Amino acid sequence: MGFPAVSEYAAADEAGQTWISSFRKAVASAATTANAWIDYTYFAGSPVANFYASTPLTAALVEPDKGIYTGGNVSPATKHLKNLMLMSSGSTTAGRQQVALCDYLLYYPFIDTDAIGEEQVFDNTVTLPRYSSGQVVAVAQSAASTLGQFTFSYTNQDGVAGRVSQVNFTFAVAGGGQVVNASGAGASFNPFCYLQAGDSGVRSIESVTMSAAGGGLMCLVIVKPLLITQGSPPCITTGGNSFGACTEFASIIHQAGAPRIVDGAVLGILATGYAGTLASSFLSGLLESTWG
Amino acid sequence: MGWTSQDDLIDQLTNNGKGDTVVTTKTLSSAGTAGAWTLLAGHAGYPPAATFTGSDLVYVPTDDTWSEGTIYHGGNVSTATKHFLSAGAACVAAAGAPWYIMAIDLVGFVPLSGTNVSTTGTKTVTMTALGSGGGTGDRYANGEGLRMFVAADTALGANAPTCIVNYLDTGGGAGATTTFTSTASMGVGQLLNTGAAANKYNPFLPLAAGDTGVSDIVSLVWAGTAHASGTVIIGLCKPLWTVPVPATGLYNKVDFVNALPSMPRIPDGANIQFLLFQTGATTSAGTINVDFMYGYGG
Repeated sequence: MGFPAVSEYAAADEAGQTWISSFRKAVASAATTANAWIDYTYFAGSPVANFYASTPLTAALVEPDKGIYTGGNVSPATKHLKNLMLMSSGSTTAGRQQVALCDYLLYYPFIDTDAIGEEQVFDNTVTLPRYSSGQVVAVAQSAASTLGQFTFSYTNQDGVAGRVSQVNFTFAVAGGGQVVNASGAGASFNPFCYLQAGDSGVRSIESVTMSAAGGGLMCLVIVKPLLITQGSPPCITTGGNSFGACTEFASIIHQAGAPRIVDGAVLGILATGYAGTLASSFLSGLLESTWG
Repeated sequence: MGWTSQDDLIDQLTNNGKGDTVVTTKTLSSAGTAGAWTLLAGHAGYPPAATFTGSDLVYVPTDDTWSEGTIYHGGNVSTATKHFLSAGAACVAAAGAPWYIMAIDLVGFVPLSGTNVSTTGTKTVTMTALGSGGGTGDRYANGEGLRMFVAADTALGANAPTCIVNYLDTGGGAGATTTFTSTASMGVGQLLNTGAAANKYNPFLPLAAGDTGVSDIVSLVWAGTAHASGTVIIGLCKPLWTVPVPATGLYNKVDFVNALPSMPRIPDGANIQFLLFQTGATTSAGTINVDFMYGYGG
């Protein structure tokens, strides 16, 4: 169970039922696209980089060490996000990010975005480990040279198979780790792929079909968004003057309740900058969990 | 007890003098490691640099009378309870930002030196398990909420062995931390279990599933290729609060009165020390200033 009262939320701290972890991710040097999303799990640092490197077109789980450590399993108690702090640095455009903290559930790696007209069928021996459905993110696993288009066939949140996504676009990127799904002819960047009208989530993906070549490799990842917030301006010192701020999210105070972190969760962050490239920038944060 | 109301809080502070402000400063004696945490106790300033004196592999409890350098915060106030009201921090260094400053209550430590660092194998610790007797040594009953780290006391030599710490949990059951991989040549105070590489845990060692604290440190086990030289401590502490510091020279202040959970408690005997997280490698001679205000009621 969670917390029946604010007093018990506070008491959990005294009882050691909290865990605090820092994380630090360094975006690679390849330029990222302004206003498009990136997948921080893909980049080096702590936790270690998550390259989605496993058998092509075969469903796989993201390994626990690729996620931010939150204190292990606590069942039958329930664990929740208590505090999240974020600071970005390293470039003048690194800040002002929209940030999505997600539980990374399942992925399908090494999709050839040049395979026009070919249905690339996935092996779904491994199934969704948590939740009944999630959102789909297309993460580049290489540079991509041009605008591509794809749809994917999936089972929706109610277990209905054979659903077909709307047309999603990919776009040219300079390196892996960038989220390549977009709409509006590839210029409207989205964190999550567009599904068939009326659907709210995806339980599994059966296949993907490219209708226009994207010139690269990508991975489809099913995630559960837990919190979407904003990053503050970049933390920099230039010309002898220092700038910057920390984004601080505190559950209960900044929003009712506290997002739940289920046992086994693999937490990572998607983000988009508002201007310029995030290349070679850092995201340093602190995540605190608590359980009742 | 603490305060019964906001009126009581302001009355105790303004009329009865039950509170004060503490200012500390530390200067780094060597450059930091990007992405790693550093225990500031071993660096010069106020309090002075600690050297973690003690017999090898024998647990040393510490409190606010620790001779090597601790912060005075008003002494014992039981049956009242003492709490943090606010905290602020700033760093001045050419590199390393952004930073996080974390206050901890360092309950005790275990020193390891000589062949206890430069050879692999199990290093058995002598420690009497923390009880619930209410003394300052066991100010966290049965070790509830306590966390562990392994820090360089003096700079380490080459090589990066793996390490695991065996302990007893709050109920006396045996537990073991997750294995971490150390880093070669870390400087004074740097936490071996932290950094931006595989098998690092920032800043505390993960406990066994379901464990909420540590009552007894049983042993440390090195494997692989041992550090060529150096001395380390196993630190046992309670995390208290964190202040983010975005850039050099910027001062950041956190109010605890209106936070939730509010006003972290300072138990009688607390040995308040600080950990520093650095995004980049903080410049040697970088200065870290921390202040906090405390108060008590009753």
